[in-house]
Amino acid sequence: MNVLDTLTSRRLWLGVLSVAVCFAAYIWVTNRPDNNPALLPPISDIVKSFFVNIESGSLHTALGASLFRIFMGFFIGTTMALIVGCLVGWYKTIEFLVDPLIEALRPIPPLAYIPIIIIWFGIEEFSRVLIISIACFMVCVVNVIAGMKNVPQVYVDAASTMGASRFQVFRTVAVPAATPFIITGYRIALGAAWTTLVASELLAAQNGLGFLLQEGRRYFLTDQVMMVIVIIGACAFLMDRAFRRIQAYLMQWSEARE
Amino acid sequence: MPEIKTNNLTHTFGKGGENALTVLEDIDLTFESGSFNSIIGTSGCGKSTLLKMMAGLFDPSDGAMTLDGTVIHGTDRRRGMVFQQDAVFPWMTVAKNISYGPRLRGASKAQQAEIEAKWTEMVGLKGFEDRWPRELSGGMRKRVDIGRVYANDPDVLLMDEPFGALDAQTKERMQSDLLQTWNQTKKTVIFVTHDIEEAIFLSDKIVVLSSRPGRVHHIEEVSLPRPRTDDMRLTEEFLEIKRRLWAMLDH
Ligand SMILES: Nc1ncnc2c1ncn2[C@@H]1O[C@H](COP(=O)(O)OP(=O)(O)OP(=O)(O)O)[C@@H](O)[C@H]1O
Ligand SMILES: [Mg+2]
Repeated sequence: MNVLDTLTSRRLWLGVLSVAVCFAAYIWVTNRPDNNPALLPPISDIVKSFFVNIESGSLHTALGASLFRIFMGFFIGTTMALIVGCLVGWYKTIEFLVDPLIEALRPIPPLAYIPIIIIWFGIEEFSRVLIISIACFMVCVVNVIAGMKNVPQVYVDAASTMGASRFQVFRTVAVPAATPFIITGYRIALGAAWTTLVASELLAAQNGLGFLLQEGRRYFLTDQVMMVIVIIGACAFLMDRAFRRIQAYLMQWSEARE
Repeated sequence: MPEIKTNNLTHTFGKGGENALTVLEDIDLTFESGSFNSIIGTSGCGKSTLLKMMAGLFDPSDGAMTLDGTVIHGTDRRRGMVFQQDAVFPWMTVAKNISYGPRLRGASKAQQAEIEAKWTEMVGLKGFEDRWPRELSGGMRKRVDIGRVYANDPDVLLMDEPFGALDAQTKERMQSDLLQTWNQTKKTVIFVTHDIEEAIFLSDKIVVLSSRPGRVHHIEEVSLPRPRTDDMRLTEEFLEIKRRLWAMLDH
């Protein structure tokens, strides 16, 4: 067994261990006679709530609606960020024009736009996707810009002396050299998409995971609330894992791959 | 045939500012077409700066350079450059690095494959075509760098201490290979080094720069016969030049 294998297996076991400890602690607490199941429902109730919601179809509907919003918002937001970030990071004129705008808007939390977006567009699917897009765009674009600005000069010079036009340098040198930053931006955007999704659904939605949470609170279904939290955590975790796979593939060439 | 001239070339970094630094002054040089020239001088005397200006990466603050009578302004594939730093693209395999230039100009897959095969072989990297640069040693990466510039087929080769990071044996082999390739193609070569022996072995002409600011201190015409062979390194004529240049670089 080489060093890498032991490291990987150690990571796996320690990860499993910490989850298992939390799990055991939860079971222990909920089994105590003084536990109030209305506040901390036992795991069996959470699992039951899972099946109840599957049977009634409400979990499918909620998950479907939420995933759709995530994908749309993430796709639109990051695509815009890629285009804008590349242009701002590479062309000085565009940078001078757009950069102050981005810097000014950056500190505003995306959720702050919710009221104005509702006033303009109503409580529509479009509004929710828009908010997630804005959140993804903002966190992603700064990374793309940073990536474009950190392209080592010697690569640009080497390409130019081999006859590359300014656009060819952009396409064959700047973009690939910036991929580590760009991918990081995409990953952070995915996290931002989930955060914003739930918040926007809590505030204004008739369906989705956030809505299920809200419903659970209104009818005091603590087991349902817990169940949705676990579902959200699992989805976000799986997506991040899938993303790491893509990242590892795209970054094969890089020395620092983890 | 490409001939490079510099006329009264002077360069000041940050000209007009308070940190203005004149690195090159009144450089008047002619590099004849098809000749092999070296530039030597102490560290920081402006060798890289001079080479980058000849590549067209920036303009001198005064004076001009011409290639066959046309003023050099901006980069051009006719003037290829091997940089002092590692410039191999880490996101391309060895083969893709080598065929980068031709690919820019729309070479077909077949042409690219031919060029890749030819130049990986020439720089001794056969078998490493599909490796990432991170999997190569520093010296191997330098060879990718050199192969990539050769494969782009420039008229003028500007080389900034290309063999600086190599061990003595690899270095001597690369020098002989370079001379062989140069012999076949007769490109004009301008080669920066601080290795005096390397300069003598390779060149027709050696320019010695003084430092702060860099000026042309001496021009040595090397009349050793060609083709050059390794045993020439020990001849009286060779050692004579070496002693003379040593003395000059000392102060
Ligand atoms: N972009 C720059 N801006 C300001 N000063 C610079 C710049 N590039 C180089 N210099 C300065 O110009 C001088 C010459 O640098 P240069 O890189 O040409 O030296 P060199 O002869 O190639 O040295 P070495 O043998 O160490 O490579 C140095 O003093 C350096 O600090
Ligand atoms: Mg230098």
